[in-house]
Amino acid sequence: MATTLDRPAVVTGRRTVHRSARKMADRASRAAIEQAGLKSGDIDLLVNVGLYHERNLGEPALAALIQEDVGINPEDPHAGGHGSFSFDIANGGCGVLTALQVADGFLQSGVIEHALVVASDADPRHGLATGFPFSPTGAAVVCSWQEGAIGLAGFRWETAPEEGYPFRSRVSFEHGRNVLRIEKDADFDSRAAAWAAKTATSLLADRDMRPADVDLVIASPLTPAFLEGLSAHVGIGLERVLVVEGAEHVHTAALLVALASAAEQGRLRDARRALLVSAGAGMVVGAAVLVHGREVET
Amino acid sequence: MPRTWLMMEKSPSAGRAACAARFESVGRCLPTRRLATQELMASTRHRTRVDLERLTGIHERRVAGEDEDSLSLAAGAAADCLRRSRHRADDLQMLVSCSITKYRGGLETWLEPPMSLAVAQQVGATRAMTFDISNACAGMLTGVFVLANHIRRGEIDCGMVVSGEYISQLGRNAAKHVRNIMSPELASLTLGDAGAAAIIERAPEGVAGISVAGFTTVSEHSRLCLAYPARHDPGARMFTKSRAIQRIAIADTPLLLQEVLDAAGLAMSDIDWIIPHQTSARAIRKGMKDICGVLGGVPRNDAVVTVDQYGNTASTTHCVALVEELEAGRVRAGDRVALLALASGLEIGVILFTVDDELVSRYGDDA
Repeated sequence: MATTLDRPAVVTGRRTVHRSARKMADRASRAAIEQAGLKSGDIDLLVNVGLYHERNLGEPALAALIQEDVGINPEDPHAGGHGSFSFDIANGGCGVLTALQVADGFLQSGVIEHALVVASDADPRHGLATGFPFSPTGAAVVCSWQEGAIGLAGFRWETAPEEGYPFRSRVSFEHGRNVLRIEKDADFDSRAAAWAAKTATSLLADRDMRPADVDLVIASPLTPAFLEGLSAHVGIGLERVLVVEGAEHVHTAALLVALASAAEQGRLRDARRALLVSAGAGMVVGAAVLVHGREVET
Repeated sequence: MPRTWLMMEKSPSAGRAACAARFESVGRCLPTRRLATQELMASTRHRTRVDLERLTGIHERRVAGEDEDSLSLAAGAAADCLRRSRHRADDLQMLVSCSITKYRGGLETWLEPPMSLAVAQQVGATRAMTFDISNACAGMLTGVFVLANHIRRGEIDCGMVVSGEYISQLGRNAAKHVRNIMSPELASLTLGDAGAAAIIERAPEGVAGISVAGFTTVSEHSRLCLAYPARHDPGARMFTKSRAIQRIAIADTPLLLQEVLDAAGLAMSDIDWIIPHQTSARAIRKGMKDICGVLGGVPRNDAVVTVDQYGNTASTTHCVALVEELEAGRVRAGDRVALLALASGLEIGVILFTVDDELVSRYGDDA
């Protein structure tokens, strides 16, 4: 029995489409629910981990707006029905992995049957950001508890505030208005890769696994410097690390974009043991093992 | 377990999460500076003709000084919580920051790195997994729900939920725009600053701790309260349809509270204290009267009200009020307390727990 992940849905903001983070999250959520063969009302928990959306909304959680838009039990409580709960998690580029751990917890304890994790970022518009660096992307995945299946099998986290803040995102009052400014030092990816590799190596040791046991590494950010650094430090050849062309500027949705790509290429199906790795500002780094397949009946 | 409207976790349960979680310590950080409602209303740009003190029962609120912000209030509360606790900072395996505001260094909002990492760094929680939860005024209780779940499954033994809300600046901004009682920014004038923190740990054998936690989002009302950075002023602005929120909360809460009572096998009269979200003294008293009327029972004591002294301190209100009651010696060992969240979203949640000797012993003159 384990938390399994359905195939994530990915939505990108094309020029002709309104680049709204919320609308991309809505579309990705609907598609992910449909791909999982569920109805919107089947989702018990919705966690949004996207950070950059219209007007830099601070309240309510964007998850509540997505829940209403997608029609996930939005109505007033009434006898004979059941509701859903939604909130946001903010953990930089590690948001998806954090939300997967939270969802996994409630699935494990039998509190819920299905969770939806959604990530989406776009320029907040209205002239609120200077040089927004991320490509508009939304993605969502359904997590379910399945008897007889194996899936997420352990997480590990480390923080390294001693690295200083090589990635900073702030809204500050400048020249008479509030402006979002995102800054990343040139060596962020390579430094993050070293920390991520350390965490991934510790997780493998926790699980009595060696790098050779890992069939596929699905990691974020999807920048060449991070993926190459991770591969070198953890000792897993780059051919076993998933690279997604054109996705290096995807932010919180990156891990789901990589998962979707792995599923599409058939590499997830072929991988018996995959390693999920994320690094974000702080630094915060996390890793998880995703085991694919069915448990052996005994 | 029969299907409930609330996403609910119950303890003890025979399922896959056998342990109970409890509040080990609760701390807070209140700025020393006080701002009377009268003084705030005297600062409005327009002649509002609103008697806010009579309308809300808020006499004053605390406001951050020049060297205070969301981070300093959160870190101050975390330090206060640790001072009362038998745990040291490096015992914490998870630290979740749940504030709506994330101001550091004055009115600069830090979106990345997360606030939780900065708080962990300031208090020395070097081993903690860190992340932020954002769920409006239900943030801290959502954090307790998530943390308790990790503890109940045996993933961790102990962690901290923390929040620092520097929101009095919304009141300063609203004072420029509020014209009358119908203003959508009137609720911003009720806000006060505070930090709060709670350590949640695995309950020892025989200690009840948190017996039920349940939450739901009634999202068809998600747009009744919206806040975002101000366009032309430092800080933020918030637009609230307070009356609609109050009406929906009164209509929706009884069924949800009944689910919690049913799960715990209790009646309303078995609850010693209800600590609701602190919006206005009048709204709390009227709301509780209506809800109790529907449920056909009243708790053993009147609903806890601290909004008169501190205003609405957003996600920190429940813990600020809990510390107040523990300090005053009103909440005693064995008391059953229901923390009732009501927040923009529309989030409604309940955490029902039993206070134990150890928690009580951390407050009062000697603590």
